[in-house]
Amino acid sequence: MKEVLIEIKDLECEIGDQKILKGLNLKVNKGEIHAIMGPNGSGKSTLSSLLAGNDNYKITNGSISFEGEDITDLSPEERSWKGVFLAFQYPIEIPGVSNINFLRTALNEKNKFFGKDPIPAKDFLKMVSEKSALVGLDNKLKNRSVNEGFSGGEKKRNEIFQMAMLNPKLSILDETDSGLDIDALKIVAGGVNKLKSNENATIVITHYQRLLDYIVPDFVHVLHDGKIVKTGDKNLALELEKKGYDWLKINSLN
Amino acid sequence: MITDKLNYSPLVKAESNNALDQFKGTLYPSKKEEEWRYSPLKKLKKIPFINNSSFVVKNLSLLDLPKLEGNILVLENGRFNPNLSSIDNIQGLNISFISNSKENYPYSTNLKTEDYFSLLNSSFLSEGIVIRVDGNAKIEETVNILNIVSSNNCLVNTKIDVFLNENSSLHLKQHFIGNTTSKNGFINHLNNISIKENASLVLDKFQDLNLNFNISNDCINQDRSSKVISNTFSTSGLFTRNNVTNNVNGEHCHSELNGVFSPSENEYIDNHTVINHFVANCKSFENFKGIVKGNGVGVFNGKVIVHENAQKIEAFQNNKNILLDKESIIYSKPELEIYADDVKCSHGSTTGQFDDEAIFYLRARGISLKKSKELMILGFINEVIKKCNNVDYQDFIIERLLNN
Repeated sequence: MKEVLIEIKDLECEIGDQKILKGLNLKVNKGEIHAIMGPNGSGKSTLSSLLAGNDNYKITNGSISFEGEDITDLSPEERSWKGVFLAFQYPIEIPGVSNINFLRTALNEKNKFFGKDPIPAKDFLKMVSEKSALVGLDNKLKNRSVNEGFSGGEKKRNEIFQMAMLNPKLSILDETDSGLDIDALKIVAGGVNKLKSNENATIVITHYQRLLDYIVPDFVHVLHDGKIVKTGDKNLALELEKKGYDWLKINSLN
Repeated sequence: MITDKLNYSPLVKAESNNALDQFKGTLYPSKKEEEWRYSPLKKLKKIPFINNSSFVVKNLSLLDLPKLEGNILVLENGRFNPNLSSIDNIQGLNISFISNSKENYPYSTNLKTEDYFSLLNSSFLSEGIVIRVDGNAKIEETVNILNIVSSNNCLVNTKIDVFLNENSSLHLKQHFIGNTTSKNGFINHLNNISIKENASLVLDKFQDLNLNFNISNDCINQDRSSKVISNTFSTSGLFTRNNVTNNVNGEHCHSELNGVFSPSENEYIDNHTVINHFVANCKSFENFKGIVKGNGVGVFNGKVIVHENAQKIEAFQNNKNILLDKESIIYSKPELEIYADDVKCSHGSTTGQFDDEAIFYLRARGISLKKSKELMILGFINEVIKKCNNVDYQDFIIERLLNN
């Protein structure tokens, strides 16, 4: 029997007057990779942002439970401590704050939450060099300001590097493939695959099937107009690539 | 009137008499004057100031100060406090007090004669320190000057004259402190700084006035190939105002004015600077960052004047501010006047709030809201803080800026 990691039930949300999610259901077990695909404006990025705790969106119905605990009202940092990680579609630049200082602060805040001591400098640096090797992140970038002046590819690698450092239970990759050339895509996907275990799970959000050649999903869901309208295995992604999304819109009406 | 309850006992008679005559004919500044339009002048005017040169502070460890190394000279309520001071004899460094001076000390005035507070200072001078660095002397040890007001309603008029002779160097740290137990004290200070050819000065200023007032008028004169780096960190104060005039009189000079100021609830911190490029081939850099909290008010008014024939000047001025609350106010006025035609100059000013996206990004990595804001502030002020080369001092300033 597989253990449920996250279960989203009847989730509805809005921003301003606009309804975005309209009754979304999703269950992800430990050890699984789920891909969520869908056309522009279907609510993919809203879902990922919402799972990470962004309070720009108002939840009007439904619940999100993580390892059996309702996390709907938890702050972004509390969700992070419990093991939720969002790799941002557009990683934010933070001038003046070094990548290293940022990560050490993040790890120590997590340690504090679990009543543990701050990580010793030596262990931290060892961890940094191990984990950055995973995505081939240039040494220089570690000491630079967070994402400042990074290329698109470097930003995405930095996201996966942070993921490796924080060792989350649930990783949500929001269009991690966008802006990546094929070599960078392989490296980033390779990093994600190495971090995969039976204890964690991954939700991959993408427009294109291409990424799923490298991160092979157990399930593919199609999000359309705020709901999951179809679920299948990896072949569904191939079918979507051939037929586009319009085919599904008609299908879902029937 | 500010001076109604003051006893007039001049330290330096000749100059004071002269200044007093002028002072009597000078009006208290008004908000109608461009230079003073943002200052809460009424708040200052209605305080009945007194002379009070008593010593209150028993030990410097009772004050919230950075770690002090090197020479320590303490002025408390306008009088030299030997119990709190420690002065080493250093080759090439001469320190004297105007109150001890037997000779009719011929210090230059360089006063902006029309300025009310400069004249007030000269007319009612409490104490002055004269620091001379001999030619070719590189003073390794830092000279700390603490200017403490520790009695209510006490008016302190102090003055520091700094003379750096040819090829010399000095690191001066000034600390303007309003004791937390005193209120409505007022340190009205003058810095008169002369930097001769090829000499260099680093001036770090820390201002933590709490419920007291501080006006500091700095006049910096630079000769050829000299260097000045002035870093001003103003963490608290009912009314803290810095007027800096940097006259660059010789070619190939380097001038840097940096600062971070963080007025919080009911506080006002103002940096007015003027850099006069009188001659060619010089560089100046100015970088001030404001962090305003509650209904605090911050002011930056920086003026760079490139005078006629001062060609090949490179002058860069920058002011950035963060408003932490809806009531927070910043007045920013970057000014550039150029009368030469072959120069490279820029100025800029931005004021904004925290970037919500960035805060969310940090929180999504498990950094609490409070810590996220601290990191953002740290990132914001980092480039100015780095100008100080002492890590202990940097950490102290950061801690004070974050916790005001």
